[in-house]
Amino acid sequence: MRRFYLIGFLVLVCFDTLAQVCFKLTANHAMPPEANLAWLLRVMSSPWVYCAIACYIGAFVTWMTLLEHAPIGPAFAASHLEVVSVLALSVVVFGEHVGAPQLIGSVLIIAGIVCLAISETEGESAPAAH
Amino acid sequence: MSTIIVLLWLANIVLDTFGQLSFKAAAVAPDLGEGLARWRAMARRPWIWLGAGAYIGEFVVWLAFLSLVPLSQGVLLGSINIVAVMVAGRMLFAEKFSPLRTLGILLVACGVAVVGIGG
Repeated sequence: MRRFYLIGFLVLVCFDTLAQVCFKLTANHAMPPEANLAWLLRVMSSPWVYCAIACYIGAFVTWMTLLEHAPIGPAFAASHLEVVSVLALSVVVFGEHVGAPQLIGSVLIIAGIVCLAISETEGESAPAAH
Repeated sequence: MSTIIVLLWLANIVLDTFGQLSFKAAAVAPDLGEGLARWRAMARRPWIWLGAGAYIGEFVVWLAFLSLVPLSQGVLLGSINIVAVMVAGRMLFAEKFSPLRTLGILLVACGVAVVGIGG
């Protein structure tokens, strides 16, 4: 089960991260933001929106497989490792500035996921716990 | 924050929590089987479609939101959603929470909030 969670969440985070990067590329392509048909057409004419949809489908299949066993509360929290990976890529791909709060937040997220991973390992060693 | 950003944020919380709980309900329904049969069995029940509907709404809301704020600030949303999904999972699916598990979830939520505030 530990292997199932490890591989599952790794695949999920890769799909989620790529999807967010593609969304930002789509939004940039569709500039300026407007609530009209022209904006929607600019969105649909961007190849990135289709990459984002493909990543979403991949993430969806992975997520539904994980949820067969994983409790939704901790699993949903753990899926936010995406935030750390998206931050890293927002610097590399879009040249956005990452300051101290983002670094502190990233450390907190990783610490939280480590807690979740340890609590799952403990649950496994006690057969009655589910 | 302008009114439209706040409305998009609230819509995201509601759609995300409803969608995640629907997906959990779809994934743990009885007699689903394995592999492709599991997906066919899930497709015959309403939960996966309710979850997918919420997700499509969330997709539109998220795109509109990212047009108004930088990507790094968009993650501020997630911190409230994490707590909402945790509480709902506990109430509706009787999920057990050891102190370490609760601490882990709250640390992730705090981390996401700090990232968002700092953005």
